[in-house]
Parts: sequence; structure tokens; C-alpha cells
Amino acid sequence: MTNLLSNFCLASAAPGAATLSPILLGPSEAQLILALPIIGLLFCTLCAIFRVKSKAPAFFTVACLAGAFALVVRLYLNKTGTPVITSGFEWFFLEWGDGKGQRLVANFSLYLDSLTILWMLFVTGLATLIALYASEYMAGDLGTGYCRFFAAFNLFVFSMSCLVMGDNLLLLFLGWEGVGLCSYLLIGYFYKKPSAVEAAKKAFIMNRIGDLGLLMGIGLTFVHFGSIEYRDIFHAAQPYIEAAKAGKYNEIPFLVQLIPVLLAIGAFGKSAQIPLYVWLPDAMEGPTPVSALIHAATMVTAGVYLVARMYPLFLLSEYALPLVAWVGALTALLAATIGMAQFDIKRIMAYSTVSQLGYMFAGLGGLSSTGAAFHVVTHAFFKALLFLACGAIMHGFAGQLDLRKLSGIRRLKGWGIVSFGMLVGCLNLSGFPFTSGFFSKDMLIGSEFLTPGMAPIGWILLFTAGLTAYYTFRVFFRVIVGPLHYEPGDELHSAHDEHGHGGENHNEHAHVQDDHQHHDHGHGGHFHPHAPGWAINTVLLTLSVLSLSASALNFLHLPNQPHIEGGIVPELVMESSAAYESPYARHEAHEGTGDGGHEGPDAHGTPSYVPTAIALDDPHAHAGTFLGWNPHAVMFYVSGAVGFIGIFVAFVLHYVGRTTAATAKADALLPMLGPIPGWAQHKWYVDEFYKYSIYWPLIILANLCNLFDKLIIDGIVRLFGAIPRWIGNTIRPTQSGELHGYAAGMAAGVAVLLFIVFILTLR
Amino acid sequence: MIGRLAFLWPEIALFAATCVVMVMGLSRSFSVRKASAWVCGIGLIVAAFLAATTTPGAPGAPAPDAAHGQLILPWMVPFAKSMICLVALLLLPLLAGTVDRAEEARIASSRAGFNPLRSNRAEFYSFFLFSITGLLLVASADNLIWLFLALELTSLPTYIMVAISSSRHRSQEAAVKYFFLGAMGAAIFLYGFALLYGAYGTTNMNAIAALMRGGTLSTLAMAGLMLSLLGLCFKIAAVPMHFYTADVYQGASAGVAAMLAFVPKTAGFLAILLMVGMVGWNYGPSGASLPDSLRLLLWVIAALTMTVGNVLAILQSSAKRTLAYSSIAHSGYMLVGVIAGPGDGSFTQNGISAVLFYLLAYGVTNVGTFAALACVERPSADGSEPRELDSFDDLRGLCRTHPAAGWMMVICSLSLLGLPPLLGFFGKLPLFTSGVAAGEIPLVIVLGLNSAIAAFYYLRLMAYPLLEEPGVRSGELVANPFLARRLAGILSAGGVISLAVFANAIMKQTTVAGKYPAAAVASTKAEPSLTAAEQR
Repeated sequence: MTNLLSNFCLASAAPGAATLSPILLGPSEAQLILALPIIGLLFCTLCAIFRVKSKAPAFFTVACLAGAFALVVRLYLNKTGTPVITSGFEWFFLEWGDGKGQRLVANFSLYLDSLTILWMLFVTGLATLIALYASEYMAGDLGTGYCRFFAAFNLFVFSMSCLVMGDNLLLLFLGWEGVGLCSYLLIGYFYKKPSAVEAAKKAFIMNRIGDLGLLMGIGLTFVHFGSIEYRDIFHAAQPYIEAAKAGKYNEIPFLVQLIPVLLAIGAFGKSAQIPLYVWLPDAMEGPTPVSALIHAATMVTAGVYLVARMYPLFLLSEYALPLVAWVGALTALLAATIGMAQFDIKRIMAYSTVSQLGYMFAGLGGLSSTGAAFHVVTHAFFKALLFLACGAIMHGFAGQLDLRKLSGIRRLKGWGIVSFGMLVGCLNLSGFPFTSGFFSKDMLIGSEFLTPGMAPIGWILLFTAGLTAYYTFRVFFRVIVGPLHYEPGDELHSAHDEHGHGGENHNEHAHVQDDHQHHDHGHGGHFHPHAPGWAINTVLLTLSVLSLSASALNFLHLPNQPHIEGGIVPELVMESSAAYESPYARHEAHEGTGDGGHEGPDAHGTPSYVPTAIALDDPHAHAGTFLGWNPHAVMFYVSGAVGFIGIFVAFVLHYVGRTTAATAKADALLPMLGPIPGWAQHKWYVDEFYKYSIYWPLIILANLCNLFDKLIIDGIVRLFGAIPRWIGNTIRPTQSGELHGYAAGMAAGVAVLLFIVFILTLR
Repeated sequence: MIGRLAFLWPEIALFAATCVVMVMGLSRSFSVRKASAWVCGIGLIVAAFLAATTTPGAPGAPAPDAAHGQLILPWMVPFAKSMICLVALLLLPLLAGTVDRAEEARIASSRAGFNPLRSNRAEFYSFFLFSITGLLLVASADNLIWLFLALELTSLPTYIMVAISSSRHRSQEAAVKYFFLGAMGAAIFLYGFALLYGAYGTTNMNAIAALMRGGTLSTLAMAGLMLSLLGLCFKIAAVPMHFYTADVYQGASAGVAAMLAFVPKTAGFLAILLMVGMVGWNYGPSGASLPDSLRLLLWVIAALTMTVGNVLAILQSSAKRTLAYSSIAHSGYMLVGVIAGPGDGSFTQNGISAVLFYLLAYGVTNVGTFAALACVERPSADGSEPRELDSFDDLRGLCRTHPAAGWMMVICSLSLLGLPPLLGFFGKLPLFTSGVAAGEIPLVIVLGLNSAIAAFYYLRLMAYPLLEEPGVRSGELVANPFLARRLAGILSAGGVISLAVFANAIMKQTTVAGKYPAAAVASTKAEPSLTAAEQR
């Protein structure tokens, strides 16, 4: 393992990074992308101040974000394939000499390359859709709460744009902290609910731990490379990249190798990976649009973005990428096992998010930055869709999310689009053949098998794919299909009145089916679920269509570019700093053409992308295989089969013969597994483990320190603290308030000072 | 000499505005009287514009040269003048309703007719403008007599403004103290100026500077310099001339106190920079520091001022007194920049730029803290003038009861503390770096320790409004009816945040403004890098 990466060859990073080319000035209207959410934020703040009680903030937000999206699309259409920098205003420019590392430049400039544009496309696009969804979803809180929500929403989009578009690490850090803050504010949106406040704090603190790593990484980057601007960093890293190409890792200073590891810790915190993943499931306390946008589609992919953006640096360490890969794979597995045992559908989606993020990290670590980015994009669409569908259910059933208390809602009138959206999302998530999730996941898993030493990760991911299909369709078969049954959630009595019926488009009485009222309803039997209105339905339908059509991404190609397996998204990535072609991919391509028979997308007769700087001198550097076959080619069948098995198991256990909402066949099988399901349901007691291994020791340590502090330090401090007070109290009488005293004091002061100076300098 | 006029357009504009205000403030019509404040504002805007465009050294204007008379720090003038006018513009709304509030109410309810003898508005606003005019004149002083007159023009109106700022005896007492002690301070620096004249036979600062660099820094001249600096310490409220500060700030209304914290302090610092610039930073072993005795004097004053200001601020229970002592401490911080000198001219090394930046940062931030006190008041039972907020107890829970006032206090006190994303941080940073660059490590350590001590009371100013529950007597507090005061505070707090984002632009301006031309022409002792810095 240690020598694994020495076999790899590194493609030169971004085209602009190979030589410090003159800055290509980007389009200045890119700045507007940052300005629009800020305008939205100001508008929402004004609305909050003037206590506007209408949906104006929501629609203004939608308009601003749609404008930003349009600008990003324009950027995409006008992009040239070379990174450009759009100079904003100078933000930080400090220099204390002419040498290296004596100048700190961090401008409000934007680094626009394909990776940036790719990320911004789905960030602004999804934000627009989800803001529209939220306009209806949050309608119960019309007033300052509504304004507060959309203000934070705008601030989030601004911060995320800073994070993604900034041309230096400080701007990235600003955005990083900004999205963290917005996440905190929005998780704790229902700030009167103790669990929401707890979750917000947990998210914030967990993120701080990761941020410390990121901050140290940025600091080390500056110390070592003398700059925090991407362009300079990539340029300065070029000699090391040459060294890494030749496998001479011992020529790369330890500190440089430490940078990616520290950055990875930051990424693990933000993207909820082991050991910092525990905050994300709890973050579901926030309103569902927030979960969909921040905690599924965009913010949590910031870690993936960081690794992809700094990929050249990650290649400089022998251990960084394997670390990322293993953490990702283990997270994927762990979260999937927990997700299987949960009953709260939103929580299941949360764990599946953690799990899918694990896939992305495994992909990055397995030398498939293209696959990881592809999965980020497809995942953003289908996971947002799933969350929004869950949100619609939660909204309609007064906060009910327990899959044991909901069943067959497809049969209710007005829930067709929700059910359809759920089906589309589930198919994508479980990697059903020819959905977008299928293509991106296969690309990831295939790369793992291709890369020597990563095969165990490939097997873990493959196994996890089966689990994913199972728990995804467990939700579908329990909640969407089957006999109709529902119980309202606990928001019925408390918040339902103001929360649920606020929207003007609800016609809840139309959807009651009286023949099902005989089910025992815990809350009095007069509950009428209300179907989602036009805004929610529009968004769900749009996202369903997008998720379905996202599989076309796999077959679209950039014009004037060598085609790459996986279609347009990987091709975009190949134009950016995350560009990296595993040498084994080419190897495999040769062998693949030799075999000639597989139906993989690279068998379409298009030439494989051959990176410029590859030297396969090492005889050991053979591409891995999947049981002797070309992994990318067979993975379609294998993972398709695995997905089918998962869905089939879910079908048998949770659909066939199920007559009630609460129980299914699976319950009968559970005792056979002993205590394991219970453990999984309790999230493998990780929270408790943290509590006893970290929280309590820290509390004890804190108390010990406190004791030490009180007894010993305080004494010393009191002594020192007493000095200012003593001085103060001594000189305080001089502030007697008497004019004569002051005048005398001044005269004496002048005399004493002059005396001192003359004595000391006229030696 | 006519070339000097090029520096004076802002002053001329302000003087014109002053004359108009003086007449308008005595009008029988309420709306005309009320408009006098607007005329002040317009005058200040015009002056700021003129300062930023026409003054030699400003972008677009000709570079300062011999035709304009020689100044010690010619590049400083456009920045300093426009900065002063803009901060004064921020102070102006804070002064709304300071005078004539009861009188106007009487007139409005037709219990009394307008009586010019009982109205203070005309004096108040014109004195404010006079004071600012004096301050602008300080910036372009090239002669000791000019400097003295300008300093007095800055100070004299403030004595009266303190006296009429409220109808309480306390403010009159404060004004009397301020006046007598101010006279004493003026006497000291005037004595210093006289000694300098005695030593060199001229009052032209440039001529004195040339003679000093010629190698004759006699004991007489040194005594004159030291006395001048000690006298100027009164203006900046530095030890040992700081005694008046707390009493006067507490006695004056919050708006006037905010003005006192900026206007005389700025005058004092500009004057100190000019005086010290006359001597030059060409002495010491490395050839880049002040003469030993001067350096020692400023060193001791700086260290004492910070420490005394901060330790006394800790002990206060009155917010105004705390802010007064904090104002003393800030003067101590800025003296570090004076000691450090121009360095190699880059922003991080140039103490002069650091002082100029800090004056701006402190001016903007300071308005917000006093505005928070001026926005809320406690009505008095007997119908006399309502009391402004003063004690810490009144600040409890202010963010909840009066959000605007509470938040401006929170934001501005954090900025005064120097918390990183805010303007105060960008102000303090170059003080530290220039101090380190000049090799004043012990002084920088004192500065750091003092910043830590200061956190104690700034966090109190922040925590009382934000974290504490409203006190039992908080219900009695009502918002001040003059919305302009709130506007001043909001602008200040907004400035603290937004200027921090654009700090780099201001840094550039101050780097230009802090150019010390004498460094290039200076004696052979100067480091070669200084000329390189000049070329850049």
C-alpha cells in the first residue's frame, strides 16, 4: 500500500497550472453570481425588518437564484476549457518583503474552470428549485420566520458560491465557514425545539473539528508554497508533481505531504465522513428544503470539491488518497448498515447521503476524480428529489416520518407526483440499470477494481450497493405502495394548525378516503392529510425529469474534446485542476480493445482520452481486474445484478403479503440475526461511544483542569489580575475630579517624564 | 505662497458653510433652523469632495511640490482631510437634538416664542464646523504658528460644545475643567514651540527640519520638541495629560463625547506626526528610528497610556467612563505607529499609514458605541432633561429591548477590541507589524498584553447587551426620538463591517498618505531600501 501511489503517473494538473501563464481574464459578469444572492439576502432582511407577511421573500429569492443560474449557464456556454480568473476587488494584500512567502494575497477573485462551472450549475440550479419548493413548504411560518429562512438561504448560496468560485483558499475558507454558519442557522431554524438546537450545535461543533484541519492545511500551504492562490499553488507544486511521477516521494518534504491529509480532515468534517459523520443525520431536524439543499445536494459535497480542487496536492502524498478512499468506503458501509435499520424515512435518507458521500470519497481516493464528480452531480439531483418527496410526505402528514405508520400513500388522491418522484429517486439511488445513479456508481466501483490495491474497497462498495438498493426500496415498498394506512405525526396538535394549513393551495378535504378511516388513528381519527400544492409538485416533477434525464449525461460529450467514458461530466472534470487519468485506465483501454467484446461506453468506437504525461515504466503497474475481466465493462452487469437483488429482497420482505403498515415479513426474520439489528438501529452506538470515549473524558479532564485552574492558576492569575486592579486602584485617586489635582498631576507628569528622559539619555 | 491655497479649498468651503449655518440657526422659522444641520452635512460633503480631488497629492490632482509650499507629510493631506470630513459627517447625525430640545418643544407647543438668546443651535453647529475646519488646517500646517492656531481653532469650540451639550451642571463643570486644563496643555506645547523658535530662529517647519537634519539637534531644540509633544498629549488624551478625559466625556452628552474622542485626538495625532516627522526617523543604530530621547519619551508615554487607560477602564461601572478610558488606551496604541515610523514604506511596515488607518477605524467605530448610548434614554420624573444611558446596568439585554442600539454596541465594541473580521482588526494589525518591523518588540508585547486586558471590558460592553437578561429597570428606558442618532450608529456599525471588506482599498490609500518624502532626501544615514521603497 505504501508504495502503491509511486507507481502512478500524474497527468499535469490544470492546463493553466503547468506554467504560470498570464492571467486570462474571465467575464466580469461572473461577479454578479455572487451579488445576486446578496441582493436577495438584503431584500429578505428588509422584509424581516418591515415584518412583511407574504411570500415576497420567497419569490424574490427564486428570481435572484434563477438569475444566478442563468449566468452560470452562460458561463458554461462561453467557457473555453482553460481556467480564467475574474478579478474582483482586492481583499487582502499584505506584503512584508519581496521574498517568497512574504506576501499574502487573497482577492475577491473568481477562478473559473470546468470544475467550478460544473459545481455552480447544480448549486444554483437546485437552489432555485428548492427555494421554489420552500416557498410553499415554509408557508406555515409566513412572517419574520419566513424572511429569516430565506435570508439564511440566500446567505447559504452566496457562501457556497464563494467556496466554489473563489480563486484562493481564504475565500474558500470564508465560504466554508459561511455555509457552516448557514447550516447551523437553518438546522436550528425551529429554535424552540430542543432537539433542533442540539442538532445545530452538534453540526457546528463537529464541523469545527474538521475546520481546524482545513485551517492548518491552508496555513501549511501558505507556509510552504508562499501563496494561497490556486494558480500559484499549482505552479509551485509542479516540481513535486514531477517527483511524485517518478515515485520519489522521499524528495517531497514531509510538510507538503501533510497538507493533503489536513485538508482531508476538513473535507471529512464538512462531508460527514468517519469519524465526523454523526452530525449529518441529526441535521435532519432542520426544515426539509434545507436538508435537501444543504445536507444532501450541495454543502456536504464541499468536501468532495475541496479534494477535487486540490487534487494535484493530494497526489503528492503517498497516504492521502488511500486514506480518503478507505475512510470513504468504510463510511459508505457503516452508514448503509445504519440506514437499513432506521424507521424514520428522512433519517434513512440522511444515512444514505452519508453513505453516498462515502462513495464519492472512495472514488476520489481510488483515482477516479471523474467518477466522483459524476456521482456528485447525479446524487445531487436524485437525493434532492428524495428529500423533497419525504418533505412533502412530512408536510402532508403533520410531521409523520415513521415508515411503520405510513403505507400506500400512492393510493391517496393528489399524491401521484410525490409517489412518482419517490420511485424515480429510489431507482436512481439503488443504481437501477440505465438510471443516472447507475452510471456514476458503476464508474466509481469500476475504477476501484482497476486500481491495484483498491480492490477491497471495490468489494465493500459493491456490497454496499446491494444494501443501498435494499434500504431504499424498503422505504418505497413500505410507504408508497401497499395497503393504505396513515397516522398523523405529532405536529397535528402543536404546530400543525399554523404549520400545515398555511398554504393557500391546499384543498385537504378532497383527498380523504373515508373507507380507510377504520384504521386506528392515534390522534382522534379526524386527520386529513393534505396533498402538496403546485409549487411542491412542480419542483418534484422537474427534479424527477431531471434525475431521469441525467442518465443522458453519460452519453453526451463535449464538442472538440476527446471522449471519455462517463460522458460530459468527466470530460468537464478533465479540463480542470482535478484532471487526472489513472494510468490503468489507458492500460485497460488497450486490453479492452483487445478483447473487443464488451458493451461498455468506451466500446462506442471513440478513442480513449490519452493524457500527455504518462510513463508506465514500472512493470508492476498492471491494471487490476474484476475476477479477470475488465472492471468497467462488467461492472454494468454486476452492479445491476446487485441492485436487482437488493430490490428483490426488499420486495419480498416488505411488500409481498404485507397487510398492515406496522409490520412486514422482515420482522419475522429479525430474531434470526440476534442483537445486530438492534445495534444497527442504535447507530452502532457510535454516539454513545463518542459520549463515553470523548465527551465524558473531556468533561472529566475539563473538570480536573478547572480544579487545577481554580486552585493553582487562578491564584497566579489573581496575582497578575490583581496587578492591573491594584495599579488602577492606586492611580484612581488621581481621578479625584478636582481641577487643581488634575493640573498638578499634569505638571508633575510632564516634569517627571522630562526628568526621566534627560537622565536616561544624557548618560 | 498663493500655492498654499491649493491645500485650503476644503477649509474655505467649510468656512462658507459655517457662516450660513450661523445665520440660519437663528431664523424664526423652525424649518430653516432645522435645515442648518443639513447645510452642515452638505458643507462636509463638499469639503470631503474637494479634499479628495483638488488637494495636491490626491489622485488626479498635481503632486505636491515646492510651489505649494513644503509640507512635512504632503501626501497625507488629501487622505487625512477627506477622512476627517467623512467621520465628521458620521458624527453630525449623532449630534441631532443635543441642544435646544426642550426649547424647541416649548416653541412647538406655543408656550414660548422663538428667542434667539435662548437658542443654541446656531452656535452648536457652527462651532462643530469651526472645530472640523481647525482640524483640516492642522493637516496642512507648515508653520508652528499655523499649527498652534489650527490646534486652538479645533479645541476652543469644543469647550463650549461641552458646556451647552446638556442643561446639567455636570456638563458645565466638565467644560470648565476641560477649558482650564486645555489652556494648560496649550501653554505647554506653545512653550515648546517657542523653544524651537529660539533654537532655530524660524517657525517654518520645513526650515526647522532642514536645520535638524543638518546635524544641529541641540538640547534646547530637544527640550522644545519634548515639551511640544507632551503638550500635544493633552489633545490625544495620553499620559500624563489624560486626567480630564473621563470627567469631560461623562459630563458631555454622548454625541459630543464621541466628537471629543475623534476630533481633538485626530488633531493631536496629525500634529504629533508632523512634529516627529520634522525630526525624522533617521537615527539609532539602524538609522531608521527616532533620536534616543524622543523615542524613549514616546515609548514611555505609549506604554503608560495604554496601561493606564485599560486598567482604569476595567474598574468603571459607567459605560461612558469606560469608553473614555478606552479612548486613552487607543491613543497609546497609535503611538506605537508614531514610534515605528515609515519603515520601508509598505503598508505593513509603515507606522504613519498605520496611525492614519487607525484614526479612520477608531473614528468610525467610536461613533457607534456612543450612538448606542445616545439612542436610548431614561425619562426623568420631574420633567427635566432625560438621561442618556450610562451605567452598565442600563445596557443589560439592550439587544432585546432596543435591538438597533444593542447591536451597534455589540458590533462596535467587538471592533474596538480588534476582532478579526471587523474594521478594528485591520487597524490594529499594521500597528503590530510596523512595531515589529521597527524592532520595537518590547513595546509590541506591551501592546499585545494591553489588547488582552482591553478584551475584559470590551467583552463586557458586548455581553451586557447581547447575553444578559434585561434588567429590572430596563422597562423605563425609551428610545430617543431623534432617529438621526440611530442612523449614525447604524452607519457606523455598517461601516465597521463593510469597510472591513474593502479594507484593502483603504490600506492602499493610507500607504500613499503615509509616504514620508524626507526619507528619500534624508541624510546618508538612511537605509538604501528607503529609496527603493520610494521608487515603488
